[in-house]
Amino acid sequence: MELRERIEKSTKFIRENSGFEPETGIVLGTGLGSLADYIDKEAVIDYKDIPEFPVSTVFGHEGRLILGRLEGKKVIAMQGRFHYYEGYTMQEVTIPVRVMKQLGIKLLVASNACGGLNPNFAAGDIMIITDHINFMGTNPLIGHNLEEFGPRFPDMSQVYDKELVELLEKIAASQGIRVHKGVYGAVSGPNYCTKAELSMMIKLGADTVGMSTVPETIAARHCGLKVAGVSCITDMAIPDTMTAPSHEEIVKVAESVKPRFVSLVKQFIKEVRL
Amino acid sequence: MLEKIKESASFLKGKVTINPKIGIVLGSGLGGLVDQVEIITEIPYKDIPNFPVSTVAGHRGSLIFGKLNNVEVMVMSGRFHYYEGYKMKEVTFPIQVMKAMGVEKLILSNAAGGMNPTFKIGDIMIIKDHINLFGDNPLMGKNYDELGPRFPSMNEAYSKRLVKLAHETGKKLGIYLQQGVYLGVTGPCFETPAEYRAFYILGADAVGMSTVPEVLAANHCGIKTAGISCITNMAAGILDTPLNHKEVMETADRVKESFSRLIRCVIERI
Repeated sequence: MELRERIEKSTKFIRENSGFEPETGIVLGTGLGSLADYIDKEAVIDYKDIPEFPVSTVFGHEGRLILGRLEGKKVIAMQGRFHYYEGYTMQEVTIPVRVMKQLGIKLLVASNACGGLNPNFAAGDIMIITDHINFMGTNPLIGHNLEEFGPRFPDMSQVYDKELVELLEKIAASQGIRVHKGVYGAVSGPNYCTKAELSMMIKLGADTVGMSTVPETIAARHCGLKVAGVSCITDMAIPDTMTAPSHEEIVKVAESVKPRFVSLVKQFIKEVRL
Repeated sequence: MLEKIKESASFLKGKVTINPKIGIVLGSGLGGLVDQVEIITEIPYKDIPNFPVSTVAGHRGSLIFGKLNNVEVMVMSGRFHYYEGYKMKEVTFPIQVMKAMGVEKLILSNAAGGMNPTFKIGDIMIIKDHINLFGDNPLMGKNYDELGPRFPSMNEAYSKRLVKLAHETGKKLGIYLQQGVYLGVTGPCFETPAEYRAFYILGADAVGMSTVPEVLAANHCGIKTAGISCITNMAAGILDTPLNHKEVMETADRVKESFSRLIRCVIERI
């Protein structure tokens, strides 16, 4: 089935089953799904029930859409995302963003768990994404361009909205949450990087490295959504000193970041003007 | 896929009488080591169920079971390259079959272009680490937990113990060894001078079109690996003198001999 049709089918189903028009989309990364607990739910829809939606397979992801109000704002949250390394095509990874656009969102808030490369960071810190490097080896916009979504050659000069970065910083300061700003470097995974690869990412200018977010934000910018990105640094990946993290450890650190992450994003949703 | 691995392995087990713990993958121009293997069984890839078939000239394309310096080995004479059009999972399928056959350690060789200005043509480089710039990864897609974890660590992609052993062996044999980072690209075109320069900036010492996929798959399923590169050409612009084809061939031949001696001796000492 054509991509356009898949997006339409999914959108129609969600619209009919929720009767809700969200204004902000939130992608909840590994271990950060609990923000959804604070949403006054209007509808909860399992990915597997949505026609033409991919289905998440990674442990730690619940795989459902939650529509409702967060701090009074109309949101749609993805609890569980689709990763390229799972074997989905880039176009499939980004179907949800395009569906959310069709449902009416103006802003996408993307979160993720990632490794820290910048020596000033520490495991458990939060980073506000200011820019990204796509090192995944491919791009969700390759192929026939969906003109109704956006242009053939979309601008990426400011993927992560400056005002939104400032707002996140301001809120973090007022809540006493230590945050960093930095560049998110995206790789395909699923293996963790070698030390030589981490050194390379540092040289290239990345402050963190992870396996998600970039496809979704590219698709979001393509269709004109504003984007804010928040990374939870679950382990430090400094080449000379690193030890191999386990997925369990990463989920554990993400757990400890959760309260700060939830508090930051909730207040952000409350204050952000669409 | 698990079924396919099992099927290939059980076919091979029905043909061979030995159980090698050491696997060897021979790269371009380095197939000469095969002549020193006391061959017990040789099976062309085309006869092995589910195996891809090598298309590159100069690659023998068979799996050899035999003894090298009296140590049982399983040798891939001819490997599968991504640039030939195979999928990453096809490129690494033989590694998973090796695992199913009981291989615990894997030695991979390749021919590579050198960027590090302290290298020269004919050097042998022990791979310390790699950079995957293939833009693809054999571990993407459904993970088979029976083979290895979803997110395998590449903290020691190249076994420190084997790297050390290779250096000790080199010293003992009087073979000068370099050490460095191997960067894997798809090819099939050779690198432009700008690409060589870029890869050197990224931290690579040599570049080639193989090895990285197999090392990822090997680490995923718990095989310890060692990688050896023969520097068969130097990055354009790094050497002052233009390359002379005859010289390159002579060097490659000379390398072949020390390469074989090195591998034979490493295997004996593993």
